[in-house]
Amino acid sequence: MSPLESKAAADGEFCSPSGPIEQVRYACSLGALASVIAIPGAIPITHCGPGCATKQFHALSGLNAYQGGEFHVPSTNIGNREVIFGGTDRLDELIEATLKVMEAGLFVVQSGCIPGLVGDDVASVVNKYRRRGVPIVFAETSGYRGNNFTGHETIIRAIIDQYVGAYDGPREAGLVNVWSLLPYHNPFWRGDLGEIRRILEGIGLRVNILFGPSSEGVAEWQAIPRAQFNLVLSPWLGLATAQHLQQTYGQPFLHVPAIPIGAKLTGAFLRQVTAFAGLDPQRAEAFIAREEKEYYLYLRDFSAFYAGCTSQYRLPSQLVVVSESAYNLAVTRFMVDQLGLVPGRQVITENPPQAFRDAIRAQYRRVADGVSAEVDFAEDGHLIRRLIGETDFTGQLPIVFGSTWEGEVARQLEAPLVEIGYPSTDEVVLSRSYVGYRGALALIERTYTTVVRASTMG
Amino acid sequence: MAINLRTTQAETREQRLGTITHWEGNAGQLARDSAHTHGCGRGCDNGGRRLCEQSTPFAQASMCAEHIAVTNATIIQEALVIQHSPIGCAVSQSSTCRYYRDLAARRGWKLEDPQSICTNLGEQDMVFGGIAKLEQTIREAWERHHPKVIFVATSCATGIIGDDVDSAARQLEDEIGIPVVPLHCEGFKSRHWSSGWDVIEHGILRRLVRPDPPRKQDDLINVIHLGGPDVFTPLLAPLGLRVNLVMGGNTLDRLAELSEAAATVTMCFVLSYLATGLEQEYGVPEIKAPLPYGLADTDEWLREIARVTHREHLVEDVIARERARIAPELARLRQALAGKRGFVAAGAAFAHGLLADLRELGVEVDGAYSFHHDPSTDSGDPRQDTLSHLVETWGDIPNYTVSPDQHFQAHAALLRAKPDFVICRHSGSMAVLTARMGIPVLPIFYSNDGLGYEGLLTIGRSILRILPRKRFCEDVAAHSRFPYQPWWLEQTNPFALGADPA
Repeated sequence: MSPLESKAAADGEFCSPSGPIEQVRYACSLGALASVIAIPGAIPITHCGPGCATKQFHALSGLNAYQGGEFHVPSTNIGNREVIFGGTDRLDELIEATLKVMEAGLFVVQSGCIPGLVGDDVASVVNKYRRRGVPIVFAETSGYRGNNFTGHETIIRAIIDQYVGAYDGPREAGLVNVWSLLPYHNPFWRGDLGEIRRILEGIGLRVNILFGPSSEGVAEWQAIPRAQFNLVLSPWLGLATAQHLQQTYGQPFLHVPAIPIGAKLTGAFLRQVTAFAGLDPQRAEAFIAREEKEYYLYLRDFSAFYAGCTSQYRLPSQLVVVSESAYNLAVTRFMVDQLGLVPGRQVITENPPQAFRDAIRAQYRRVADGVSAEVDFAEDGHLIRRLIGETDFTGQLPIVFGSTWEGEVARQLEAPLVEIGYPSTDEVVLSRSYVGYRGALALIERTYTTVVRASTMG
Repeated sequence: MAINLRTTQAETREQRLGTITHWEGNAGQLARDSAHTHGCGRGCDNGGRRLCEQSTPFAQASMCAEHIAVTNATIIQEALVIQHSPIGCAVSQSSTCRYYRDLAARRGWKLEDPQSICTNLGEQDMVFGGIAKLEQTIREAWERHHPKVIFVATSCATGIIGDDVDSAARQLEDEIGIPVVPLHCEGFKSRHWSSGWDVIEHGILRRLVRPDPPRKQDDLINVIHLGGPDVFTPLLAPLGLRVNLVMGGNTLDRLAELSEAAATVTMCFVLSYLATGLEQEYGVPEIKAPLPYGLADTDEWLREIARVTHREHLVEDVIARERARIAPELARLRQALAGKRGFVAAGAAFAHGLLADLRELGVEVDGAYSFHHDPSTDSGDPRQDTLSHLVETWGDIPNYTVSPDQHFQAHAALLRAKPDFVICRHSGSMAVLTARMGIPVLPIFYSNDGLGYEGLLTIGRSILRILPRKRFCEDVAAHSRFPYQPWWLEQTNPFALGADPA
């Protein structure tokens, strides 16, 4: 019998694999163990082959901006015996031992391909511990079903349904749950979630940011049902979660597809949130004014570079953006709207469910006032290279925002490459953020440092 | 036991060598028990007892054979690897690419991305089988890149659903006219990732080595290593030998030539499958001498190579010159490292080599951690019993833990050893753990670093470079903790949790 909690993500629909892939740009569903590790106080327990968990996490956190992270994940490391005779006894033994050895506020049992294929009833093993009052949940994350994006929503749903549970108490005005970037997969998620938290607090909200160093961890997850509303800050990831929370707790949600980068977009975003949440507009405006004052002093001085001292450098004029949809949309909008580049080739790489694609395309058609862009959905590196090769850059100087995989194509275009997505093997990232007010300045710094170095260092 | 090249699947090392992954005790006992159980090659009663693997109910995520097999197939030049799997198995592509580009830069190869493609299987394929997708992918791979060889690596999922990869490979090989080599490397099939070395070496032996060598090259010596810069040519060129450096990235021509060489040496007996297979199938003699770690063993290793390749008249000069060359620096290093306590964490024969290096450098070391243990090698020759040789040459290692990179057990072992520094291979959990315990660590990426005369200098200097990082390590250790229960954080016996012999 297959486990029940299976069709959790994205309205119960996984986007099925598209065909052969080279230059892999996401992990499998089990890779959502990175999201569990991103919750302070939570530990995944994986029921899968011996290399599965390590491979996913090291790919997502290791070479991908060298993020590190707490990886000492209990795992059944399934062998021949479990494949032939079933692995539930071994899982039971492992959970028992984990409780003796490890300390956590929440354990998330995740299954990989093998238990799904041999038919392990993982749910009943986990339920035995839940009945004992152990804070433990089960998420079916078989590697052949979805990817680490849909797996992310699967683990979130498992935690909400099996750990947070029913709630009929009051809601706290001004408390918001934020569902945004995918932890670890996006190299800048830690700093970004910190900045998102900071600007939302700036307009008077209290924030369950839920993942990363700026989160209170498991305690924040317990507070989810008390929130006034959910904020989905991404093109599609988190929408299934918000819809589920609406059904479960009656919480409304606000969906803002583009994560704001820079003062113009961030100000508009904060005003939208202020109106939705019924916050004090004066306080919000005061915060925005304070932030803008500082931001525009920096931009004023940056104009000395951008408009002035740059005649010897090849300042890029046209965009190639290859990344998952959240950063793709956010960076495209900022570079077009704030810095005046023109769209070139935008490719979204995480295989978003079909149901969301038209809405995503619509976002690009009004990427800035008077500017419309097209977007492609492709995951296979070969296809992506072909799309870029077919792009008309006549008279333009292109710049590539992408992953390590775009290195070769950027060299062919003689374009600078700024790594913004998985895998980013040439970036060491700690708290750097590219969103909001402060992140925008960091993105400008990185972008034009790259441009200058391309000129000065060959 | 002879290596069986008739089937497409390599036997696992558990079956061939009796490999174990859990054991705790002193190294001398492990060596005696191994020889007693799996044959010491001398017919002696050495006072050993049956080798009993230990067990523990707790386990942490480890590594799989597929990772090793696929990585080492991908870095073969002009080859293309197809991972017949769901997408997750192929997520390591980025690290393999980084590895290849780094190798290419160090070895002077063309700087380019290696070719690998994943069939990207989904739920439908689990139900209806994935062979059609595999065939489509092989054709697509051929049209896109025109490689000279295609490897097809299996996965846990395709192994369980029973995809007939061998037939598909044969059929497509006829269709496109290049070798299509299956690599059967389902992660669940072996309890240790090092079986992945056997899988790729099995594929090389069966399909890439020239089966009827037109000539013998008397001055060609195969050197099988884990990967990295060529540290061998400076040692062997003075003997008039050309090095055919294999594994860790090769051209197909180099692999084809394996059968033409005068001899094969293996730099870590964990990889000895290929050397033993070359001797068995093509009569290329395998050098059976201790690995060249430490002065005396490097001398003996060179002498044995010289004997097998008929260059005895050259070797003593080389030895004397090398020894004289490194002597002043070695003396400086020994002085700088005097009184320091080291700890080694690596895989089997490689760990034994690093332990010998440390003792040669005058470092005190009484604890070690091996990611697995091979009680025997494929040749079964006692001269390849690196653990016995280590104990006989350098004395016992009182605390010797065998564990497959288990963070919780390594924590206990390090708490017990209290070293001044750690040298480790597989920078996964071990290196991070060590630093977080306040101990500076030297993670070895390129395993040739400790080999030969120069290796002693390389390792010694590397240790001296990392020791001052103790400041960083201690600061982080003081401000972070591991999520273990307090009783485990104090535990110094890695097998304290239900250590019943299996």
